[in-house]
Amino acid sequence: MASRPLTRLFDNDWIGPGLVCVIAIAAISAFQPSFLSPFNILVLLSAISVNMLIALGQLVIIAIGQMNLALGAFGGLVAICFAAVMELYGVPPILAVGIGLAIGTAAGLCSGWVIARTGISAFIITLAGLQIFKGINLGITKAQPFYGIPDSVKDFGNLAIIGPIAWLVLPMVIASLGMWVLFNRLRIGRYILAIGGNRNAAELSGIDVKGTIIWAHAISGLLAAAAGMMLVARLQIGQPTIGDDWLISSFAAPVIGGAALSGGHVSVAGTFFGVIIIAIITQALVVFAIDPFVVQIVLGGLILWAVGINRLRELRVARALT
Amino acid sequence: MTGVLQVSRVSKSFPGVKALDDVSMTLKAGSVHALLGENGAGKSTLIKIVTGLYKPESGDVLMNGKPTRFSSLREASAGGLGVVHQERNLVTRFSVGENILLDRLGKHALSAVDYASIYKEAERWLNLLDLDVDPRTPVSRLSVAQMQLVEIGKALSLQSRVLLLDEPTSSLTPNESQVLFRILRRLRDDGASIGFVSHKLEEVFDICDTVTVLRDGRNACDSASLSGLNRQDVVQMMIGRAERISRRAPRPRPQAPPRLELKSYASSAGHEDISLTIRPGEILGLYGLVGAGRSELAKALLGLTRQTAGEVLIDGKPVRIGSVADALHQHGIGYVSEDRKQEGLILLHSVLANAGITVWRRLANSLGFLRDSTVLKHVGPVLRKLEVKTPSPYQTIGNLSGGNQQKVSVAKWIAAGVKVLIIDEPSVGIDIKTKAYLHDLIHELAQSGTAVLLITSDMPEMIDVADRILVMDGYRIKGEVENSRNYDTVSKAIMAFIHAAEAA
Repeated sequence: MASRPLTRLFDNDWIGPGLVCVIAIAAISAFQPSFLSPFNILVLLSAISVNMLIALGQLVIIAIGQMNLALGAFGGLVAICFAAVMELYGVPPILAVGIGLAIGTAAGLCSGWVIARTGISAFIITLAGLQIFKGINLGITKAQPFYGIPDSVKDFGNLAIIGPIAWLVLPMVIASLGMWVLFNRLRIGRYILAIGGNRNAAELSGIDVKGTIIWAHAISGLLAAAAGMMLVARLQIGQPTIGDDWLISSFAAPVIGGAALSGGHVSVAGTFFGVIIIAIITQALVVFAIDPFVVQIVLGGLILWAVGINRLRELRVARALT
Repeated sequence: MTGVLQVSRVSKSFPGVKALDDVSMTLKAGSVHALLGENGAGKSTLIKIVTGLYKPESGDVLMNGKPTRFSSLREASAGGLGVVHQERNLVTRFSVGENILLDRLGKHALSAVDYASIYKEAERWLNLLDLDVDPRTPVSRLSVAQMQLVEIGKALSLQSRVLLLDEPTSSLTPNESQVLFRILRRLRDDGASIGFVSHKLEEVFDICDTVTVLRDGRNACDSASLSGLNRQDVVQMMIGRAERISRRAPRPRPQAPPRLELKSYASSAGHEDISLTIRPGEILGLYGLVGAGRSELAKALLGLTRQTAGEVLIDGKPVRIGSVADALHQHGIGYVSEDRKQEGLILLHSVLANAGITVWRRLANSLGFLRDSTVLKHVGPVLRKLEVKTPSPYQTIGNLSGGNQQKVSVAKWIAAGVKVLIIDEPSVGIDIKTKAYLHDLIHELAQSGTAVLLITSDMPEMIDVADRILVMDGYRIKGEVENSRNYDTVSKAIMAFIHAAEAA
């Protein structure tokens, strides 16, 4: 098998989406050289950073074989709480970030606990969670944004560290590396994947399935919280609508990146390329003045294509086994 | 002498069935103990009680002489009891080493996994099992036999003093089984206590020292030494008499033209050159070991796999069966699955819905509406005739006993009025009385003109029920045996075909 390194390389989940990224970037910049201008890259990287956090928040739940429909509601609630404590109580941004992360983690803990405890499907529990957290959000804000965002936060969301590298890239890099280590090197990550891969085997091996499910949802809440606050920094206001549109792309990026929706198999690198592809498609809309509906159709087609590729790969493994 | 693991006078009932009645068993250190019994005798219930999945109503499980009641498998493995289940329990995307040490990847949730030491530790167990694979290999790349050994390694790595193996050879070739046995003997000589559940008597005599036989939920023998027993004795204990002479006389061969005929049939599932005929009123048996391709043939006939060569004739006319709906509605073929819970019934639905599902299409009125009363009028008589014991037809079927569930899975095809009924392992997990009843029922069905194809691995059942027996191996028909109802001659003739096939 080692004699076919090329086949081996193409077995990696990120290779396909990676190639698509390179080709798409090359094609678009050929038509529109300003696509690769430092300013445009800065804008793109900011969007990618936030979306990567959102995708990772869903990825950890996909890994365990579940879904988190409340991801956006978590992020939205944290976003407005983050803005509110700074505007209303003058809490310093660093402390506000801590509060935000704590709220997100707590929300994840709650929904994870209910899922583990009751054994009801995560789909239903997080659907209810979506409503509850969104309701709390609207109760706090009365649907009005918070405007009193400190300049330091606004700068973090809009300035660059150096060249076109936005500050927002920093949390993305930390979260991505962290999740890679989690899935590949930490016990909790391996247990999440083991449960997603074969829950029965995990249980019979003596893994604490319920505890692991709670952990996964807490991590998901933490990542959603970070994404929500990054959006506040980027938009420069505490919008109550933050999180409303996360759902589709939170699933699309991991799936394009080769994650198995049944659980047990995810790729952080693949997800990263999935996020880039979605960002490029959205940008192309602006660059070429394409109708928004085309973007939706292309994104839908891309998800189908990615799922098809994953299915083919599974069939090939199955055939190799018999 | 007390054993390492002792089961003392345990009883357990389920709704409608006494699964275990005052059962005892003793496993000693340094010996291999066989747990035998026909399907439904109570073996799996006993294992579930030992491992803590079920609570016994009375009686005790003792480990090293102390009464023990594990509340979970985790506790059982911590207590030195390793179990290798019949179904595979590995995370196939993970490496061999990670699977073996899956519950010991780190002290706490955020511990880093020390792969180097995991692979080193796993290597030790792999060496012990003479399994020459790199512990870094993903399990998905292993053969079934290798996966089996990995599971044994996993159980051993828990320092288990008692190892329970539930039908470990069911998916192994004879050669692979021998390798497994060599390892089990070595573990035994090192002082381990091994419990061995199997249907294959040859294996039991090959490797086991002592035996417990269950029949109908009771001890037919409790931890007897195998050295004083021969095959015939064990069979006698399992089925209750030395030679099960069928109550039924051979029936005259029906002369009607064939209802279903296959000519040199081949399927994409791998069947080749299959020829057979079933006449109305005939019960054709299809015997073979697990993996011979019998259930697969049934599914191919239902249109689930593609026909690649040959001919299928129904009532003399060549047909192509493209889907299960086709098979039922166009050609009148029904299939009672061996896997009642997964493929036969919708456990959450009512008895009525399960029995009527095959006739909904026919009973719906011109607007497509379907009323319970219409279905009940059609299905009710069949349910009564089969004596399905249920408080009401609206009862959720999952609450009925296995025997009654099986009656409903047959009832739905009778209600549909099928002309050809394929019955796959009809008596898995049902008690002996219902089994006898089902056998009578199959005969009655045949008398009334249904062509029956019976698939079973239960030799007494085959000889009791079938008129003719086809022997299958490796997805081909190896021979045909006329059933004289003489257990000895017929079973020898069948085994001869299988041995000839294995030797070839």
